[in-house]
Amino acid sequence: METPKKIFLIGLFFLTAGGWCIGAEASPALVQEKQCDTCHRFSKNDAIKSAPDLFFSGDKFQKEWLENFLKRPGTIRLAGPTRDPGFLKGKPQYTGPHPALNSKEARQITDHLMSLKTLKDLAPLELPELSKGARVRVKILFERDYSCIACHQSYNLARQPRGGISGPSLIDAGRRLRTEWVYQWLKNPKQFVPQGRMPLYAFDEETLRKMTQYIMSHKKEPENK
Amino acid sequence: MNRDLILILGVALMAILAGCEPDAADEKPSPPTVASAPSVPSPTPRMYPVTAATRETYQFYCAQCHGTKGHGNGINAPYLTVPPRDHTKADYLETRTDEHLFTAIQQGGLAVGRAPCMPSWQHTLDENTMHSLVSYIRELCQCEAL
Repeated sequence: METPKKIFLIGLFFLTAGGWCIGAEASPALVQEKQCDTCHRFSKNDAIKSAPDLFFSGDKFQKEWLENFLKRPGTIRLAGPTRDPGFLKGKPQYTGPHPALNSKEARQITDHLMSLKTLKDLAPLELPELSKGARVRVKILFERDYSCIACHQSYNLARQPRGGISGPSLIDAGRRLRTEWVYQWLKNPKQFVPQGRMPLYAFDEETLRKMTQYIMSHKKEPENK
Repeated sequence: MNRDLILILGVALMAILAGCEPDAADEKPSPPTVASAPSVPSPTPRMYPVTAATRETYQFYCAQCHGTKGHGNGINAPYLTVPPRDHTKADYLETRTDEHLFTAIQQGGLAVGRAPCMPSWQHTLDENTMHSLVSYIRELCQCEAL
């Protein structure tokens, strides 16, 4: 290889690598600048904090939803963060709103959050949408057999939100969460949160898949419609 | 003649006896018998006592619906179709056995013919903890099964 070409390629390599490193470093710095780590844990070794843990964000969230949420945050936990000292009294110390980021910041932090994973090499889980009849049958499991409705908002048959507020609302779960994460959470939530307020279940494989499908069927209508 | 005399004497005797009886207003109340006393919680020690861990468990899991003091007014309560049980009220809880309460905790409300909002805790809590929660409910309602 000719010397000028070599120099050009080496230079290009360092420029590219340098640029990548700068991009990767920008988000954690931004996380600190925005003080996200005041309320959220970014490592399971951190001390417990009141807001949801984010060290498995890449397993849990859909990228598009996360970026939109950071730009226009909404309320998912209607009773406040479950570890907030005022949570059980219905008077959480944190009342929001969650800080909103500009587009560039939201994209950078989303990229960083999506890189945070605890599940390695998880095979994509392709679950078909439930038929209308199947959805009604799983709804009975969700509300009657497993009592999920006591703590989670979901849609009733008239597509109105209904249910308890101590757990996160599932109204837009199908756009917010990844199918694989919902499946793993229902299978064993302790792999993400060692002690949560949700009961553990021993679902058989078929029920586990149906419950995952049902939760993922909850999608808000797009705002522009 | 004799028959009339006996009749007169009998009526006179009854009148005398009736006159000796005190007025109802003057009657002193007799102490309540044991049978008519209100039910009092049994002070007998329970096999599964309430410990600090029991109270923590109640606060962590049960209080979401039943409230931090067991009044059935937890943060989910306004959103449920059937109100969560008020664990401080004896009138219902004294009609339920400990086994009934244990089954409700272990297998959920539906298993005992009650509201399906109450989930099963059998995969979350061990049996001793669930028994001690029954003891704690008895402490909250200050009642025992009749």
